[in-house]
Amino acid sequence: MSDTIHIELTINGAAKSADIDPRLLLVEAIRDTFGYKGTHIGCLTGDCGACTIELNGEIEKSCLVLAASADGGEIRTIEGIAPDDGGLHPVQQAFWDEYGFQCGYCLPGMLFAALDLIESNPTPDEAQIRHAISGNYCRCTGYNNIVTSIQTAAQRMAAAK
Amino acid sequence: MSVASPYPKAVPEANRYIGQRSRKLKGDQFLTGKTEYVNDLELLGTVHMSVLRSPHPHARIRNVDLSRVRQDPRCISALDGEEAKQHADPIPHFISAAVFGGKYNDVRVIATGKVTYRGQIVAAVVAPSRGDADALLDLIDVDYEVLPFVLDGDEALEPGAPLLYDTEGWEDNVVIRIPFVEGDFDAAAAGADHTLEDTFYHHRYSTQPIETRGYIASWDPRAEAYTLHFATQNPHPLRWVLSAALRVSEAQIRIIAPTIGGGFGLKMPGHPEEGLTCVFSRILGKPVKWIEERDEALLLGAREHFHRFKVAFNADGKIVGLRNHFTANVGSISACPGWGMAFLAGLSFPTGYKIPATDVVVTAVTTNKAPWQAARGYGKEGPQIVMERIIDLVAEATGIDPAEVRRRNFINKDEFPYKTNSGLNIDSGDYHQALETALKLLDYDGFKAKQAAALAEGRHIGFGIAFELTPESADIPGTIVGGYDTSTVKMDPSGKVTLLTGVTTPGSGNDGGIAQIVADTLGVDLDGITVIQGDTDICPYGFGNYSGRSMVSGGNAALLAARDIRVKLSKVAAFMLEAAEDDLVFDQGKISVAGTDKAVAIKDVANVIYTLAFATAHMVEPPLEATRVYKPDNIVHFPDEKGRIQPYPTYSNAVHVAIVEVDTETGKVDLQRFGVLHDCGNMINPMFVEGQMHGAAVMGFGAALSEECKYNADGSLAADRFKTYMMQRANEIPMVEVEHQVTPSPFTLLGVKGAGEAGVGGAAGAIINAVNDAIRPTGARLRRTPASPIHVLAALKEAQ
Ligand code: FES
Ligand code: FES
Repeated sequence: MSDTIHIELTINGAAKSADIDPRLLLVEAIRDTFGYKGTHIGCLTGDCGACTIELNGEIEKSCLVLAASADGGEIRTIEGIAPDDGGLHPVQQAFWDEYGFQCGYCLPGMLFAALDLIESNPTPDEAQIRHAISGNYCRCTGYNNIVTSIQTAAQRMAAAK
Repeated sequence: MSVASPYPKAVPEANRYIGQRSRKLKGDQFLTGKTEYVNDLELLGTVHMSVLRSPHPHARIRNVDLSRVRQDPRCISALDGEEAKQHADPIPHFISAAVFGGKYNDVRVIATGKVTYRGQIVAAVVAPSRGDADALLDLIDVDYEVLPFVLDGDEALEPGAPLLYDTEGWEDNVVIRIPFVEGDFDAAAAGADHTLEDTFYHHRYSTQPIETRGYIASWDPRAEAYTLHFATQNPHPLRWVLSAALRVSEAQIRIIAPTIGGGFGLKMPGHPEEGLTCVFSRILGKPVKWIEERDEALLLGAREHFHRFKVAFNADGKIVGLRNHFTANVGSISACPGWGMAFLAGLSFPTGYKIPATDVVVTAVTTNKAPWQAARGYGKEGPQIVMERIIDLVAEATGIDPAEVRRRNFINKDEFPYKTNSGLNIDSGDYHQALETALKLLDYDGFKAKQAAALAEGRHIGFGIAFELTPESADIPGTIVGGYDTSTVKMDPSGKVTLLTGVTTPGSGNDGGIAQIVADTLGVDLDGITVIQGDTDICPYGFGNYSGRSMVSGGNAALLAARDIRVKLSKVAAFMLEAAEDDLVFDQGKISVAGTDKAVAIKDVANVIYTLAFATAHMVEPPLEATRVYKPDNIVHFPDEKGRIQPYPTYSNAVHVAIVEVDTETGKVDLQRFGVLHDCGNMINPMFVEGQMHGAAVMGFGAALSEECKYNADGSLAADRFKTYMMQRANEIPMVEVEHQVTPSPFTLLGVKGAGEAGVGGAAGAIINAVNDAIRPTGARLRRTPASPIHVLAALKEAQ
């Protein structure tokens, strides 16, 4: 296996390492090498957002990143959004309460886009929310309840501050 | 809103689940990434399949040479069409055109003899990884004799057009021609004040759930049985399809559908890859996995209709006759149910309007495009767009307001049930009221002034209206498309409820809706109910997910089953409480005697039934399990005197309204506001119903504005990825503003009608009408979908 390369990553706080094929996409490494199946694949062309993760604090479509290039990086996946106490993050809670998803396949992209937006803009309006999630496709919800979920989450988080 | 109650009125409304916006079951699992979709399953020893697809739209396969690929150490197995024939028979057609007098062609897991579309499978390989399998495809050598091909439906009908199939019965490319004729159109036209003729092209587009198809087939050589983890909407029907193709009994196949990332029709049975993974698994005795790639999902299209219509109408806007002879370019023949959309498109005319004479003929024609697959709306969405164009054209010709033309032609609310010209029996509705509510939603009355003001500034805004009739919960005779379904309700000795049903959820949340019905009927907590769907060895026989049928069939079946359990609980509780059964109230986990403080926990009654079967519970038959079927009323398969059948129990309706602005320089359409009044009868969970409408409407936006399965002249797909097949993104569209009207169905137990398909055709129809309204001052008319810049500019140019 001389044509593999060694990578080390932190995923949701846990140290991970593996010898991988240098051509492996980050989404494949996350899913298949490290077993975090909550990150999904919808297109592999960077258009749908189902593969979204957080890499070193930035949200990324992991199908557009080579796993090798993420070596040493800190990754958060959808499995790492909820607090450790077993509850849900307020953004997740709002998505549940407002029926912000149906099949759930698009959730990695939608949740990370929502988290990212609210962090930089705690009181987003509808247009800002729509812009923030526009890199992600959702085929089930028509985005209506995703927008509402993010509004609700932002309001609840602001009120809790 | 009034919702029919399945239990005595004594339970306070606040404690009921039916009619409430209960959250999705197991939502936390989805939100934390724990839900398993098919691609997430890892079965020990899994190997991976990849398929080689034809690069030619029409060719004879002279030879497939697998010798190079077989020499490669990564190749575990490889097959061509002739070899696959040894292992599998033709795939039975899910809905065969032959059942309706049309033509049939064998469809196999790998093509033999000929390919009729670019993308058809000609060989397949299995390797340790998908990457290896994909790489191996380069080592397969296929010798083709390239044949002339035809992509256009009209051209395929011309004499001398390349013939797709040279098997018996195929003297031309017509799959089937179905007339829906009632009254004398020519006489109506001769007697009418006016007639008009025009055309409308409804383009090819498709479903595209974000999760593509995926299959893991495992043959167990010892048990001589398959376990199939397949992303399918219809496990039981698929088992039937595969048993026939794979020469095994249905009992040798267990299908387990995991959580599905959206279906919309794509994941209905008949795909060659379903059987092909099984064939390899049987050869190898290992799990074989195949996950569809996006360019493969984009091959499967739906809807490509060319309408040529003539309308006869009077000066008062009343339409007296409609002739519409249209073609449906269904692409190549497949075993999937796609082509049937053409049939139902014809059947659905003239939607919710009373037109005395109709002469509608649909000709389904096969071409060298990839096949159709079922797509949300299942053919019923097309007629909405065309009928609504027709209404607006009549309005324009008579000078009568388009809303008024609709009022004058709608079926009246006191005329239901109403038998349509094609034989449909529409259950109930109030279309006039629906229209008024929808118009108010976007202030129709105030729009004319705004439009004039905008035009004075050189801006083109338009208002579009579309009525939508959605026949739902079909039973198509002679096919494995059933209108009934089965549910099992079990209460265990600790009082917990398990619900198993033959309907499946592609993500919509019908599991939750059905659980709400059961929770109310038994007076138990919704969260305590476990729902199991999609497993053919565990669930009762059912048809799965299509045609907005989950509540109508599975929901009502669960109601019946839960009532059976309740009867037993009630008898025993009455004995335990020394009360009359009529006085018992089931609520919040307790059975209490109305007007007293006497009560017993339901779990204790359940326990008594299991443990004191010969004493306290002697009067009922244990255990607490019931399986019931629900067959809705109103389906009639014995043909009437005119030979017409009535395949749908319920008819939801909606009125869609849209406001657009068209940039006449760039052709870009900006959808500014969108509203819909939806009536699907009683709603078990309005939040789920609205969610369906939101999603369907936005698919309709895509249909009207951007999505297009475009082909290149060489027969290849131009729109083969999301960069070229463009669905609507969140920042391009407004909110879908939904209002409800509730006209219960008299033909279903809970007064529910189908929900889920409505929205695609109505939304698209409203937008196309709005675009036409906006560009009318330029003299232009858009006679096709989608209203993408290129087609809008072409229409504007034509008018100059
Ligand atoms: S899979 Fe990465 S964007 Fe679609
Ligand atoms: S919920 Fe299904 S794709 Fe978004």
